[in-house]
Amino acid sequence: MQSPVEILIIEPSFLIREGIKTLLSQMEVAFRMDESDAMVHNLNRLIQKSNPGLVMINPSMMTENLLIKRSDPELSGVFFIALVQQDLPDAVSSQFDALLHICASKTALIKEAEEILTKAGILSSEKESNTLSGREIDILRLVALGLTNNEISEKLFISIHTAMTHRKNITRKLGIKTVSGLTVYAILNKLIKTEELKGRI
Amino acid sequence: MLIHKDMKMAEVIHLNHHLLHLINRFGIQLGFGEKTVEDVCDDYDVPLLFFLEIVNTFHDPSYFPVSNMLQFKAGMLVDYLQKTHQYYLEFKIPELESYIKRLLSDDSMEPEIKQLLSDFFQQYKTELTTHINKEEQAVYPYVRALEHFIDTNNDKAEFIQRLKDYSIHDYEEDHDDVESKLFDLKNIIIKYIPKPKDSRILNVILHELFELEKDLNNHAHIEDLILVPIVEKMEKELMTRSDNSLI
Repeated sequence: MQSPVEILIIEPSFLIREGIKTLLSQMEVAFRMDESDAMVHNLNRLIQKSNPGLVMINPSMMTENLLIKRSDPELSGVFFIALVQQDLPDAVSSQFDALLHICASKTALIKEAEEILTKAGILSSEKESNTLSGREIDILRLVALGLTNNEISEKLFISIHTAMTHRKNITRKLGIKTVSGLTVYAILNKLIKTEELKGRI
Repeated sequence: MLIHKDMKMAEVIHLNHHLLHLINRFGIQLGFGEKTVEDVCDDYDVPLLFFLEIVNTFHDPSYFPVSNMLQFKAGMLVDYLQKTHQYYLEFKIPELESYIKRLLSDDSMEPEIKQLLSDFFQQYKTELTTHINKEEQAVYPYVRALEHFIDTNNDKAEFIQRLKDYSIHDYEEDHDDVESKLFDLKNIIIKYIPKPKDSRILNVILHELFELEKDLNNHAHIEDLILVPIVEKMEKELMTRSDNSLI
């Protein structure tokens, strides 16, 4: 489970703020939210105060000449989403990381929110989390070739604990528990060749 | 829904046809007519309560056997468990093997992949057979000997000592790796076979694997929930009696 994401929402409409919270809950996003319904004069001060990872802001709440200075180090780690009814001129929209069209239909809204939150690194796409990382593939090859956790840790210069954690993640991602099952998987996916097994079995 | 003695046996099968294999293990065959569970058990000389516990634990995996379970004879339970072993070794595994053979001889997949699957299945078969043999050669004879002692009060010190050296808990162990292999085999077929041209024979194999798994789970469940408590009770009795005989 991920730790909850800190969100700052700047939006005058109570209904829309509540709607956003409902939407996030339905998408099973864990979050804590600071809310503001006041015009923004000094964005940096607001950010310092609530230290969010994500800011949702209705552009009409920004005073006329306020621009989000993306080069500002205080703002660089923050993901900015504009809550809009329709597309903005490029000059305005370019200061945001994404636009959320709040008047869209339910399906379109959820789809857009999912894309945005995946881009922001808050939702991990299913595909990503079930794909083996490069390191996991290294480990899987060695497991399939019959090496023990001990041998793997020596060969790859990692601790036994790390090797075991990788093993657990591999099993969780693939749904294969036994060494011989992992060997079959490795051969089917051409990670090892049958010839390499000779002499080990 | 619980299966009870006044249901018609034919209804029981309509409710859950997977129970047919279990019912056969009691020697009961098809052709129930309008007879109730109780009638059929009478006809075949099968203890009714025992029959109900066995079918209900299978029918509803969350069912916990209650009715006077500790009064069941261990020998009766072991008879049943041995019949299920026979069913695996003489029927289910050969059936699966015949499907694997059919798979090997069709052209739905690359020969290497078919061979890989076949080898993995053979490994599984070997492990399952080893596990079964261990129960047949060590666990069940121990349970029968223990029951013989309780029934006949054979008080030869040597015999008592031999029984005391063992405990049923020595055997509560490695269903684990056998289960994992079956789990892996299923997932490999479902997820990782690279695009077979025709997966019908694989579907059949998968279906059989799911059936076997369900049956094996029930077998383990009966051992844990019914056999172990009965044996524990006998072991306590053994200790009490042998302590008394020392005095």
